Amino acid sequence: MDHHEITNRFALPLLSASAMALLSACGGGGGSAEPAPPEPRTVSIRFAGVAGTAPVSCAQPLAALGSGALQSELKDFRFYVSEVSLKRADGIFVPLAMSVDEWQHERGVALIDLEDDSGSCAGRGTAAMNASIRGTVPGGEYVGVRLTVGVPSAVNHSDTAASAAPLDVQAMAWSWQAGRKFAKIEIAPAGGVTRPANPGATPPTPETRSAIFNVHLGSTGCTGNPASGEIVSCAASNRLELEFDAFNVDTQQVLVDLQPLFLTANTGVDLGGAFGCMSGKTDPECAAIFAALGLDLASGQTVNGGRHQNVFRIGAR
Amino acid sequence: MGRSRHVWAAPGQAFRRLSVLLAAAALSGCGGGGTSVGDSGTAGDGGVVVPRFFPAPRLPEGESLAAERIELGRHLFYDKRLSGNGTQACGSCHHQDKAFTDGLPVAVGATGERHPRNAQALGNVVYNATLTWANPSLVTLEKQMETPLFGENPVEMGVNDRNRDEVLARIRGDARYPAMFAQVFPGGAEAIDWRNVIAAIASFQRSLIAGNSRYDRFLRGEAVLAPNEERGRLLFFGERAECFHCHGSFNFNDQVVHAASRVVETPFHNTGLYNIDGAGGFPEPNRGVFELTALPQDMGAFRAPSLRNVEVTGPYMHDGTIATLEDVLSFYAAGGRLITVGPHAGDGRTNPFKSDLIALIDLSPEEQADIVAFLKTLTDHEFLENPKHADPFLPWP
Repeated sequence: MDHHEITNRFALPLLSASAMALLSACGGGGGSAEPAPPEPRTVSIRFAGVAGTAPVSCAQPLAALGSGALQSELKDFRFYVSEVSLKRADGIFVPLAMSVDEWQHERGVALIDLEDDSGSCAGRGTAAMNASIRGTVPGGEYVGVRLTVGVPSAVNHSDTAASAAPLDVQAMAWSWQAGRKFAKIEIAPAGGVTRPANPGATPPTPETRSAIFNVHLGSTGCTGNPASGEIVSCAASNRLELEFDAFNVDTQQVLVDLQPLFLTANTGVDLGGAFGCMSGKTDPECAAIFAALGLDLASGQTVNGGRHQNVFRIGAR
Repeated sequence: MGRSRHVWAAPGQAFRRLSVLLAAAALSGCGGGGTSVGDSGTAGDGGVVVPRFFPAPRLPEGESLAAERIELGRHLFYDKRLSGNGTQACGSCHHQDKAFTDGLPVAVGATGERHPRNAQALGNVVYNATLTWANPSLVTLEKQMETPLFGENPVEMGVNDRNRDEVLARIRGDARYPAMFAQVFPGGAEAIDWRNVIAAIASFQRSLIAGNSRYDRFLRGEAVLAPNEERGRLLFFGERAECFHCHGSFNFNDQVVHAASRVVETPFHNTGLYNIDGAGGFPEPNRGVFELTALPQDMGAFRAPSLRNVEVTGPYMHDGTIATLEDVLSFYAAGGRLITVGPHAGDGRTNPFKSDLIALIDLSPEEQADIVAFLKTLTDHEFLENPKHADPFLPWP
C-alpha cells in the first residue's frame, strides 16, 4: 500500500534536512580539526521531451508514433516530479532541497510542463513552461539521480482549488480519483482514435472516435475514511520511481521519450475504457503504456527500480 | 450483504465532538423538539436543527454551521455565475422541490454534456459516509464538490484553469458577496477564494435536514398511517421484502456517519440491473465501484441512496433507467432486471455479483403498492418548501 511507500520515501528528505541543520549548527563547536561543511550548491535538473532523436513541441508534428507508426501531434505534456535526490560518488543519495515558486511546492513537488498552449496544444494548456527542477544540495560531486514521477500521498489528495502552486493546476486534478494526475501526456494521431463497431451487440453498436489518445497516470482504487474525512490509501500507487546511476547534473538532462512510450500501443484504436490509458486496470490500452513505463499495472508498483523502462533516460543537454 | 465493504474506526481526533443541546427541551420546542447543532446554538436563530431521533452530525474542523455561513452557501449554491460559461449553478441539477434531484434520467452539464449518472438527492447529505453513487474515495462534501465544479469528464459546471479567476472575479465584483464573505471568513476581499466558496456551499448542504415527514410524525405519535401504509411499513421492515437491510437506518440507507460514529461501514451493492455479457458486466462507464478498483466483486456495486423523499426523486437508479416507484418495486420483487433487446440485453437476475439480499420475492401487486404507499410517507413537504433552502435569486413570497 501507498502508505508504506510514503513513510519510506517521503520521510527521507525531511530527516536529512534536519540532519543537515544539526550538522551546520554544530559545525563551529569543539576543538576538532574537521573542515567546515561545504557551501550548499545550487543545481538545476533539466528535462526535455523527445521522440527518438527529435525534440518534441507543440510547434511541429511528432515523428510517427505507436505500433501503427501514425503521424501524430502533441496535445499536452505535463507531469509532477517529487522525491528528488542526487547520488554522491560513495553511493549515498542526498535529497535536493527544492526551492519554492509557482512550479515547485514546499513539500518538494515540481510540475514539469513541456507544452505552451500554442500550435497543436492550443486551447488545452498554459502558455508558461517549466523544464527544470531547481534547488540546493550540499557542495560536492554527484554522479547519479533519483526521482519519482508522481505526487506523494501526503499532498496528493489535498484540495486542488485551495492548494499552493503547482498543486493548484486544475487540469492536473483528478477529482473523481480524489487526487492528481501524475502525468498528462496526450497526442493526436492522424485519423484519430477509433473504437470499432461491435456488430455482435444487439443492436450493433456503431464505431465511435476520439481525436486524442490520452496517457493519464495517477493513483487508483483510493479509499477515504469517512470517520476522519481523510484519504488513507490507494490500492495502486502508480508512482514511477526512477534511478539513474550515471547523471551529470551540469551537462546532462532527463529525456522523456514519446517513442518508447507509445512503441507497442496501437494509438489509432481503442478497445475499451477511456480513450487511451487513464491508469485503468482493465483498460486494454493500459497494458502497452504501463509496460513501456516499467509500471506493474496490477500492483501499481515500479518494476525493477525504474530500470525496466526507457521512456525516461539520461541524455546530453 | 454488500460485496464491497470497508469498515472504518473513528479516530476521535480529526473531528471535534459537537456541543449538543439534547432536547430535553422537547417539551418547549416546536415540532416535538430536536437537537440543535452549530455555534449559533438554538433552534430558530440560525444553525441547524436535527430531529431528536437523528444523531448529531459529524462536522469537519472549522465548520461552524453559523446562519450567515449557510446563507452565503445558499446564494453560491444557486448562483449560475459559478459555472465557467455562467449558465448553470449547483441548483440547476439539484431542485429543492424534487429533494434536490432534477427529474431527469441523467444530469446535463453547463456545456450540454450528458452525465452518465442520475443527479442525487441532498437531504441529510451531512450523514453520508461516502458521496456520489459509487466512490469510496469521496468522503467529504468539500472534496466531492471539486468534481462537479472542475471535472472534465464529463464537464458539469465547467470551471477550469482558464476561467477560474474570471469566475471568482464575478463573485468578487458582485454587490452583496464581499460583505457576506467578510461576515463569515477573515481576510476581507481576499476571503473570496475557492476554498471558502466550497466551504460555504458545503455548510448550506449540511443544513439540508429532512426529518419531518408524516412517517417522522408517526414516530413521534403525532400522526397515524393509513392501513395500506402500515402494511407497507411492516413489509419494508420485514424479512420477506428485506428492504431494510440496505435502507434501514434513520436516513433509510446503510452508509451513515455521525458525531459519535465509532465504526463506519461503507457497503456498495450490485442489485442485478444488468448482465450484459453473461459474466455480470454492467455497461461502461457505469460499472459502479469497479470503475475505480477494477476488482471483480465491485462490478455493478453502487451506494444505496436514502429513501427519504423518494416519492419526488425519480427517475430511479444510478442511470435513471427505472421511471417510477412502482417499477422499482416490481424490479426488486423480480430479483433483478431482464433486458431482452438492445445493447444492454442480459439477465441481471443471474448477475453473479448481485447482492444475496436481492432474490425473487413473492410480493403480490397489492403488497408492492402497499410498500410504495409507505415510501410516500417519507416525503418531508416542509423540507421541499422551506424558504431557508430555496433559490434566493427567485422572487420568494
